[in-house]
Amino acid sequence: MTYSLLQRIVQNSQTALLPAKTRTVLGLFILIFTSLSSATENPELTVYTHPSFAAEWGPGPAVKTAFEQRCDCQLNYVVLDSGGDILQRLRLEGASSSADLVLGLDTGTMELARSTGLLAPHNVNLDALDLPILWQDPLFVPYDWGHFAFVYDTEQLPNPPKSLAELIAAPDDLKIIIQDPRTSTPGLGLLLWMRHVYGDDAGAKWEQLQKKILTTTKSWSDGYFSLFMNGEAPMILSYSTSPAYHMAIDKTERYQAAAFSEGHYLQVEVAAVVASSPHQALAREFLGFMLSVDFQRHIPLKNVMYPAIDLGAELPDVFNRLIQPSRTLFFDPAEVAQHRREWVDEWLEAMTR
Amino acid sequence: MQNPLSFCNAHRAPLSHPGWQLAPGLLIALAIITLTATGVGALMWQAPALNPAELWHSRYLRNVVSFTVWQALLSVLISTLLAIPVARALARQPRFPGRGLLLRLMELSLVMPTIVVVSGLVNVYGRQGWLTGVVSDVIPALTWNLYGLNGIVLAHVFFNAPLIARILLQALEAIPQSQKRLASQMGLRGFMLWRVLDWPAMKPVLPGLLALVFTLCFTSFAIVMTLGGGPGATTLEVAIYQALRFEFDFGHAALLALVQLSICGGLWWLVMRLGEPTKVLSERRFSQPPPRRDNRGRARFCDAALILVFAVFLLLPLLAIVARGYPGLATLPMLDPQTPLFQATVKSLAIAVPAGLLAVVATMAIVAAGQFPKAKMVTHSAGYLPLIVPPLVLGTGLFLLFRPSLGAAGQGMLLVALINAMMALPFILQLVRGPLASLDQPSRQQADQLGILGWYRWRWLHWPRLKRPLALALAYGVGLSLGDFGVIALFGSPGAPTLPVLLYQQLGSYQLVAAAATGLWLILLLLMIFSLAHVLTRAARFRPFARPKNVSVMDIRHA
Repeated sequence: MTYSLLQRIVQNSQTALLPAKTRTVLGLFILIFTSLSSATENPELTVYTHPSFAAEWGPGPAVKTAFEQRCDCQLNYVVLDSGGDILQRLRLEGASSSADLVLGLDTGTMELARSTGLLAPHNVNLDALDLPILWQDPLFVPYDWGHFAFVYDTEQLPNPPKSLAELIAAPDDLKIIIQDPRTSTPGLGLLLWMRHVYGDDAGAKWEQLQKKILTTTKSWSDGYFSLFMNGEAPMILSYSTSPAYHMAIDKTERYQAAAFSEGHYLQVEVAAVVASSPHQALAREFLGFMLSVDFQRHIPLKNVMYPAIDLGAELPDVFNRLIQPSRTLFFDPAEVAQHRREWVDEWLEAMTR
Repeated sequence: MQNPLSFCNAHRAPLSHPGWQLAPGLLIALAIITLTATGVGALMWQAPALNPAELWHSRYLRNVVSFTVWQALLSVLISTLLAIPVARALARQPRFPGRGLLLRLMELSLVMPTIVVVSGLVNVYGRQGWLTGVVSDVIPALTWNLYGLNGIVLAHVFFNAPLIARILLQALEAIPQSQKRLASQMGLRGFMLWRVLDWPAMKPVLPGLLALVFTLCFTSFAIVMTLGGGPGATTLEVAIYQALRFEFDFGHAALLALVQLSICGGLWWLVMRLGEPTKVLSERRFSQPPPRRDNRGRARFCDAALILVFAVFLLLPLLAIVARGYPGLATLPMLDPQTPLFQATVKSLAIAVPAGLLAVVATMAIVAAGQFPKAKMVTHSAGYLPLIVPPLVLGTGLFLLFRPSLGAAGQGMLLVALINAMMALPFILQLVRGPLASLDQPSRQQADQLGILGWYRWRWLHWPRLKRPLALALAYGVGLSLGDFGVIALFGSPGAPTLPVLLYQQLGSYQLVAAAATGLWLILLLLMIFSLAHVLTRAARFRPFARPKNVSVMDIRHA
């Protein structure tokens, strides 16, 4: 095959000390060839997912290797911008979708995905699940979970608020960064968190909180990278697991999550089989594999979330040093889908008054 | 049988049939219009019911529209007020150390990844920004808050003032030598020089340029949200994104897209009605321009001060980006083909270079077709549509069109390159249209009489004038595609990520040091591309036996 021939040429050329330029050009050819050739003997399983899962340092590559060793198949990722995009792509493609699996939807997008009717029941035994809530969904299998929390800079803010109420009542010079519930998952998480704690008073509470909000970013990355890490505000809406990464990889204790006494809102990330997939059995096999240790051991430090099953001693030590919310707050996804627009409008109303 | 000497026969010059000038460009233009219509149409068709009345009944939407227009107007106004004096100062001072680098940075500003730039701006002007710190130490009474309209306008000025100044500078440099000499001999200075020389040169460029910048600010998204301070600062594009991605309300998205289309489209229509083609670039004829009377003494000092302030304004955030990205970049083995950064660079270039080339070729075809009065309206609208229609809407339309054949990964990449090329069209059109129109009427007529048509006309009359603008256009095309995140994210990227996707992956996985390094590398790469475009087409050194640089019709006749 031309492709393997070219690849050999490049490998040889590296030892033969071809000029770097020639090597780059050859590499470019290879790249184009790889992306054009799609002939393989094994069945291919196509997974629609989002960037942080499929990234080189994310769980994606390790999971791919582990699954391919046991399935005699090829696992391919198609990387889309976010859970919302995965769903959008699925909807646009309808029954002709090339996806066998979708991985990376969450409790906020799940109901919309269900309503498309494009997903098939998983038939996976969910006994191994270790979530803060009971999970019995016929379509979606969780692969990780986390609590939303405010992460703070201990150097700027030695004494963070101890509850949502304290945060709302704090002096206005305490600045926080949040994300927009219209465009971001944590942003929606905070909206639901406030709604869960304050019910119909949420609007009024948002109005009080508003003066402390430095800005509302489009995505988590915008706020975390551009603002929080530049020291613009001492607190940012994030996950209770964020400090795990800073402690384990960056080796710093500087960033910690603030435990709030009202409890923390839960996010669960899920995967599902696409009904039109010709590889139904294989796709279900993957969902089963998803709840095994071989998949789950990559979740804590590579996805920076809690694993969906009990990893026992394999759970990295830093995860035992994270805050343990006193209560898990959670709306049924169907309820969120039903009220989402109304609640976002309530938030908009309060914030632009 | 083909006459071997037929190339001498001017009437049968290659590509001399009018159809060759008209058809490709018209086809491309029609394709773009069809794609856009499909995008919007597909969304509307998928929508259950459209309710246009909800648009003006909703207080929220009215606020969004008025805020979008207001911040865009303010950004355009301040950018222009800054850019005009800077362009004049740079035109007056054609020689000082670092001028070339400053110009490259000015070209670069438009294509830099926003998240990296915003981080740089925050580092300088933010609450903990060090300029904020210095200023509040010196003048404690001065309170400055980046978050709000301030920040949005500041960022937009950072992105757009250099673009305006750069293009105005080229308009100023294109003033005919005879006029410059006359003004110099008459001793004109100050306001008179502005009225006689500078303003007439800038006037034809400004409407198109301002419409371009207005549209860029109007459709701005992440900047407005990050620096806006809250949901009060929302542009229409945010509302479209919300409707499309989160609510799957296609009808609503299509309606909002139509509102955006009618506001920006109306503006472009107005600009086109103003008539004159935007002469954005023109070649320089002599390396030694006649001196201006207003570039010495106190005036020189003022120019130096202004240029210095502007350079500092541009450089400070860039320095912050370098300071933040350097630690990560310095520790990377740059030439190791195994690093994600290297692979992402290769992949990005594999998409961006074809996209840039494609954009330039398409633009040339469109411009050629635009010479025919009847095709003008079609080609003009097609040239600006990609800027006005939200990429998400365009992408959805394209997706619905190409869906059955989207199987292989290679096709996906091709599609990304195609859309990137399309997105670059409006910018490249601005760069190329001027020099093409700068061929004066007598020369045209003479060329017609002599039968210098088709390929020969392009080769001998247009190419010398277009070489430099085209190189810059190619750099813009490649640069815009290189920094693009939206389109590739929409279609999904098989295999290795491109540079912007890598950047976002790193951000999403807490790899903030690596992300800063990737951002810096992306900016360096863009700088290299713009420098390359400049160096490759720089006026050659004196070569006595070389072909004359600017061939006139007369030269060809005598040749």
